[in-house]
Amino acid sequence: MRLFRGFILRRLAQEPIRTGLSIVGIALGVAVVLAIQMANRSALEGFRAALDTMAGKTSLEVAGAGVGVDERTLASLGWLRKWGDVSPVVEGDAMALSATGRGEAVRVLGVDILKDQPFREYQLLHTASSGRGRRSMDVLNLLIESDAAIVTEAFARRRGLSIGGRLDLAIGDTIVPFVVRGILRNDGPARVVDGNFVLLDIAAAQLAFNRLGRVDRVDVRLADPALLDQAEQAIGRRLPAGLTVQRPARRGAQVEKMLAAFQFNLSALSMVALLVGLFLVYNTVATSVIARREEIGTLRALGTSRHNILGLFLAEAGALAAAGSAVGIPLGWGLAWGAVSLTSSTVTTLYVADAAQVPSLTWWQVAAAFGLALPLALASAAAPALEASRITPLDALRSSQAIAAAHRPRRSSLLIATGSFAAAFGFALLPAVNGLPVFGFLAALAIVFGQAFLVPSALGALSRRSRTVARALGIEGRLAHANLSNAIPRLSVSVAALAVSLAMLVAIAVMIGSFRETVVYWVNQTLQADLYIATARRSNLDSQATISPALEAAVRADRDIVAVDRFRSVTLPFKERLVVAGAGDFRVLLSHSTLVFKSPSDGRQAMRNAIGRDAVIVSEAFARRFGTKVGDMVRLPTPHGPHEFHVTAVYYDYSTDRGVVVMDLGTFARHFGDLPPTSLTIYLKPGTNADAVRERLLNRLGEAHRVFIHTNASLRREVLRIFDSTFAITYGLEAIAILVAILGVTGTLVTLIIERRRELAVLRLVGADLKQIRRMIVFESGFLGVVGQLFGLVSGFALALILIYVVNVQSFGWTIQFHVPLAFLVQSSLLIVVSTAFAGLYPARFAAGLRPVEEVGVE
Amino acid sequence: MALLVAEHVGKTYVAGESRVAALTDVSLRIGAGEFVAIVGPSGCGKSTFLHLCGAMDRPSSGRVILDGQRLDTLSEEELTRLRRTRIGFVFQFFNLLPTLTLAENIALPLLLAGSPSEEALRRAGMLAERVGVSNRLDHQPQQLSGGELQRAAIARALVHAPVLMVADEPTGNLDSANGSNILELLRTMNRESGVTLLLATHAAEIAGAADRVVSLRDGLVESVRTRDIENSSNREEKRAAL
Repeated sequence: MRLFRGFILRRLAQEPIRTGLSIVGIALGVAVVLAIQMANRSALEGFRAALDTMAGKTSLEVAGAGVGVDERTLASLGWLRKWGDVSPVVEGDAMALSATGRGEAVRVLGVDILKDQPFREYQLLHTASSGRGRRSMDVLNLLIESDAAIVTEAFARRRGLSIGGRLDLAIGDTIVPFVVRGILRNDGPARVVDGNFVLLDIAAAQLAFNRLGRVDRVDVRLADPALLDQAEQAIGRRLPAGLTVQRPARRGAQVEKMLAAFQFNLSALSMVALLVGLFLVYNTVATSVIARREEIGTLRALGTSRHNILGLFLAEAGALAAAGSAVGIPLGWGLAWGAVSLTSSTVTTLYVADAAQVPSLTWWQVAAAFGLALPLALASAAAPALEASRITPLDALRSSQAIAAAHRPRRSSLLIATGSFAAAFGFALLPAVNGLPVFGFLAALAIVFGQAFLVPSALGALSRRSRTVARALGIEGRLAHANLSNAIPRLSVSVAALAVSLAMLVAIAVMIGSFRETVVYWVNQTLQADLYIATARRSNLDSQATISPALEAAVRADRDIVAVDRFRSVTLPFKERLVVAGAGDFRVLLSHSTLVFKSPSDGRQAMRNAIGRDAVIVSEAFARRFGTKVGDMVRLPTPHGPHEFHVTAVYYDYSTDRGVVVMDLGTFARHFGDLPPTSLTIYLKPGTNADAVRERLLNRLGEAHRVFIHTNASLRREVLRIFDSTFAITYGLEAIAILVAILGVTGTLVTLIIERRRELAVLRLVGADLKQIRRMIVFESGFLGVVGQLFGLVSGFALALILIYVVNVQSFGWTIQFHVPLAFLVQSSLLIVVSTAFAGLYPARFAAGLRPVEEVGVE
Repeated sequence: MALLVAEHVGKTYVAGESRVAALTDVSLRIGAGEFVAIVGPSGCGKSTFLHLCGAMDRPSSGRVILDGQRLDTLSEEELTRLRRTRIGFVFQFFNLLPTLTLAENIALPLLLAGSPSEEALRRAGMLAERVGVSNRLDHQPQQLSGGELQRAAIARALVHAPVLMVADEPTGNLDSANGSNILELLRTMNRESGVTLLLATHAAEIAGAADRVVSLRDGLVESVRTRDIENSSNREEKRAAL
């Protein structure tokens, strides 16, 4: 321990910059992994917490197929009461509008308070009669009036609301005014989504949500919770067709499945930064071993065992990893806030509405961060530590032996590289595991691994072929080239690290570029309508908010409108997942829109054939996820019980990876009833100014409605904006990985300089000035940048193929057309080379600071 | 006229609290083309004196004048330029750069001074011919023997036609046969090219070949012994060497 303190810790403290670089590298890696884990967890936990809190003491829930439970059916469910308490519920999302018109999402629960009392705790804080601590029964009196709403203490405080205050809720396209009649203590459901919770009477909720005659579900609280399994089975058997019984947690499990692929991909990407950080540990320990050869020799001469030397340098790696984790954990927590806002916008855009929650740090995560970084750091320090333990007292004292590692790359490394690439190919052909592209990422890992083993041989070949180029850069270029060529074994690790992060950048850029091009093509083909009307800025397929009859009537009355397609979607459980069942007017679609079909070749005819029949077209993601082909039958739950639909076509769709089933409105109405639409697609007379019609419609609707009308151009912009924001975090993760890799290059150059400080001194003595030394080192780091980027480009394209054709297809089920974002790649390559060259400035200063006379060590 | 003048030169190294006087007060005048050997026990200040005369370091007191130019007043960059153009170095451990070929190593001072590489390598070839390593020009230093390395180092020290060659224990890392050969080569170069040779050594026979032997002890000149160059036996010796 004393030796560790004196020999390792003191030295680390004496070299704050190098030590700091390594700690920052690990810290960034740990932080990124932790932030993504926390963001992922928060997305799920936010949803689960909301689910749990809202469910209260509900044991089972009875739900209809996407459209809730008809009140007429409800009357026939009296027998449910023999199992325990029963409470029908209307639940939905609304926007609470402030005086300035800004909206804040709130969860609205409509219940029959008398029946709901055993399910959820409502603690009244204030009421109009100013009583305190009242119980649920008092709530009933407050909700007698149809415009009465009860809000939470947190929400009221934030919005400055008090009893008797006005609360405007935008529900669907309609603004419904309510009056605050009571304030709930932050307990029970009031805790949900940071207090953004509004309690209504069930009848008021039905009216506000335009769900007259229906409730969303019926909650059941069993008198004997031990009978859960038995009750679930018995109720399931007795329910009329179209109704199902499930545990509330199942909704959480379905959401978890929905998010799994998205979160798996993010976690895999976050590991890149950590891996690159570990290359830094290798560098630091290797530097330490080289720089202290003589001291190690002295220690060995004085009787320190090989094991002790090994232990000392492993402990150095351990100390760095511990310090890195200690810095990385709070940093990760900070990053998680950013990551949550970035990923949650994606999660809420694409998946569930109320996902984003502030993450909390648990002891388990702290332990996991250390548990991940420490063993990986020890593994990456193993090679240099072993090298140190092999130093003999004589070796160390012969300083001319310093460059000991100049061995030639072995044939075995080429074999390992070839084997890894073959394995990558094999993995790429294997199917997904539970919908997760596990083998896809293994294939990517095998490419990275193979590349690391290919680097030494490839560097050798490259050094022979690049001599002429280097010589064109004068003596500094010649020296830089010679120095690097001689240090290939040392350089290989840093070049591999740099190449890994650059390859990931190239792969992600190619994947996103290809995806974007595909989406642009799809949008141009598919979005043909002139105006789109939805109740939310981002049209969310999950949204149950509907267009009011008043709005639809106003739209249809407009003189310039030739056709309106009412689109309705419901969320249905299908094979343990949630899918979207949508309904559109196929006739309107056929005459105005051009869906892009994957199969059959004449998709339009197939769509025409589906009209009037129990037939559907399905999205590509649906077809891939469930292995559905044209001609298959899909069995969907409907209010009248499960029903078979004939699949007539598969179409391309990039709006969701959930899987979409679309049927003609007539077919939908037959099975699901005549439901109000969730969005309207409008086609105008030729030559009509869409913006003018939009303005006219908005003016006609006035203050009473809150609706988003996109023109064709603005919707296309919106689609690409959502696309770009979805992938913002991937670029963020990559930027961090590249930063860490560039730190690695800096570290390696410092190692090389320490290794050849005697040569640098000779150079100075025979007349090299400081500028020439600096230029030489900057050339070296620039060369490393060029070489890293070359490797990155080659393996990046291989990784891109895996991301596009394996990982993406297995995770999301989309066909992406390969496209090379040339401009981005040229720009980023230049940026990488220039930044790595700049990263050489610190080692250059370090080299220029060496004292030649002392290094040559004459006398 | 003297090429190199050292006047009351002193050098003190400061390491933390302690100060070590490596040279106390050394004065010496060396003529152009002269061969001067500095001798003395370890720690007497030989190398320090060489560093100061070779523009590698600045004195703490006194002054050093090379070819009429005071070295103690020059900036770091000016000292570098001076080393690059006027001074050649030969070290005990040869100190060739392992990453360069022998030709590139020899041409290094010219390349650093910005000479076109063809010209620099041509001149390196000529020098290699003179020191007897012309058949090794494309080899890396690791492939050469100690004697060959030191010959190449001497070629490097002369490639830019310096006025002063500083050699620190040039035979210290060689066996006696190679040592004698290198000594002969140094003397030959000294005579042929007229370069002034300032050499530090422990070896008596090397010192014996010098025109003048300066003994240092504890940072001071202990004695200066000048050889009678008109001495007939020496004349024979010189002829033999030539």
